[in-house]
Amino acid sequence: IQSRFSGLSLSTLPQNQNRTSRSRLRLRRCLPQISSTRNRSPYAGTRVRSQAHIPILRPSIHARRENITVKFQDLYGFTVEGNVDDVNILNEVGEKVRQQGRVWWALEASKGANWYLEPSVSEGIALKFSLKLSTLANAITLKKLIRKGIPPVLRPKVWFSLSGAAKKKSTVRDSYYNDLTKAVEGKVTPATRQIDHDLPRTFPGHPWLDTPEGHAALRRVLVGYSFRDSDVGYCQGLNYVAALLLLVMKTEEDAFWMLVVLLENVLVSDCYTTNLSGCHVEQRVFKDLLTKKCPRFLEP
Amino acid sequence: MMGSSSKGRCISYDYSFKILLIGDSGVGKSSILLSYISNFVHDLSPTIGVDFKIKMVTVGGKRLKLTIWDTAGQERFGTLTSSYYRGAHGIILVYDVTRRETFTNLINIWAKEVELYLTNRECIKILVGNKVDRGSERAVTTEEGMEIAKEHKSLFLECSARTRENVDRCFKELSSKILEVPSLLENGSIVVKQKILDKTRAHKEVEVNDRGCCH
Repeated sequence: IQSRFSGLSLSTLPQNQNRTSRSRLRLRRCLPQISSTRNRSPYAGTRVRSQAHIPILRPSIHARRENITVKFQDLYGFTVEGNVDDVNILNEVGEKVRQQGRVWWALEASKGANWYLEPSVSEGIALKFSLKLSTLANAITLKKLIRKGIPPVLRPKVWFSLSGAAKKKSTVRDSYYNDLTKAVEGKVTPATRQIDHDLPRTFPGHPWLDTPEGHAALRRVLVGYSFRDSDVGYCQGLNYVAALLLLVMKTEEDAFWMLVVLLENVLVSDCYTTNLSGCHVEQRVFKDLLTKKCPRFLEP
Repeated sequence: MMGSSSKGRCISYDYSFKILLIGDSGVGKSSILLSYISNFVHDLSPTIGVDFKIKMVTVGGKRLKLTIWDTAGQERFGTLTSSYYRGAHGIILVYDVTRRETFTNLINIWAKEVELYLTNRECIKILVGNKVDRGSERAVTTEEGMEIAKEHKSLFLECSARTRENVDRCFKELSSKILEVPSLLENGSIVVKQKILDKTRAHKEVEVNDRGCCH
């Protein structure tokens, strides 16, 4: 395969190895400082512009016929496997993300670094009106921007603020998360048993999530939440949500508050509670919608 | 909810059977299914809600289409999965031979669920002890399994999704037993299904004619 790649004049393999060793280095760097970086996921705040670039492969008929698969890690550490065509599509998407990023940077330059975090702007999105025209304009701009995708480096900040997680966190004492995780340490409940069972099964093989450090962080977030909300406790599926939040958010604590705000304010309520009543409602609504809009799907 | 069918959707068959996999979280329901469908064995993630796969097999000279439903094991998903018992021809009750509580839960919880939600009284059940490749950690003996199976009028097998030992046999024995029950065959028969379909179609056409559609 290596010779094929050089025949295609590609630098895929060396670059990939580079990336992998770099992320390994990062992981190793984190290990000796677990206590000080305990709340930090190694994928947090990834510098995207240098990381997300996937080497461009020039597809040739030869390459397609041979169906060479290319394997690399994406910016959150997931292994992506595909043929030359897939990689080219990913490159196109990556380029669009970079373009979109440039729009964000340009706006930061003209409106100020945190213009979108102004409460009047972020709340303007929800309220759809504002007394000040410029604020309203900003709110509309922001909504359009978000619909086209938030650049990965800005995600931790934008998600945390606009979801309402920041506000939620600010209503309790600063030590809330630390106190919570300390208070529940060593307690065994049906929820913790199921969590422990699912930790190694959550994105198995991921370079950080599937390590003792990753398992421990995910465990603290899930167990912490299970004690915060006993109606939910732990529901399978939350492990994936929390794991992805850990990869995106800057700190473990921010990931926890994102999970809190998602479950308590953003998502349809009761989707994860002990009887999944929210899911039943959703399914019923979906069925009614199908009956109305696409009745032929419901024919026997 | 995701589903995938094996190659050849249009292949004709004599009977279509609905088979359900149930049991505690992490006993290996999805692994057994994957091991049976694709010979491919690796670590799997927990199932959320329900998943299904289709496999075409020939048993006793009959071509069978097996639709195998894989359910989430966590208790709260029971409220979603219970509706999948309807019309099942066979049920595979799975426990993990290395975790005793998965065996006792099968008797105390899952067998009762089956009684509650099953619509086919003659539905075939098979008790399956998974993970026999981890013999040193065994917490449930073969004899105990057999005894409980007998009590619940179920077939019994021990298997390993990892080594694929007895995995094919599990589905084969279940299918051939279903083939022996006339009432199950009736509602799994393609001919009967076709008739029902024709009936509803005819009914629909009448409706359309009644409306006197004009374009």
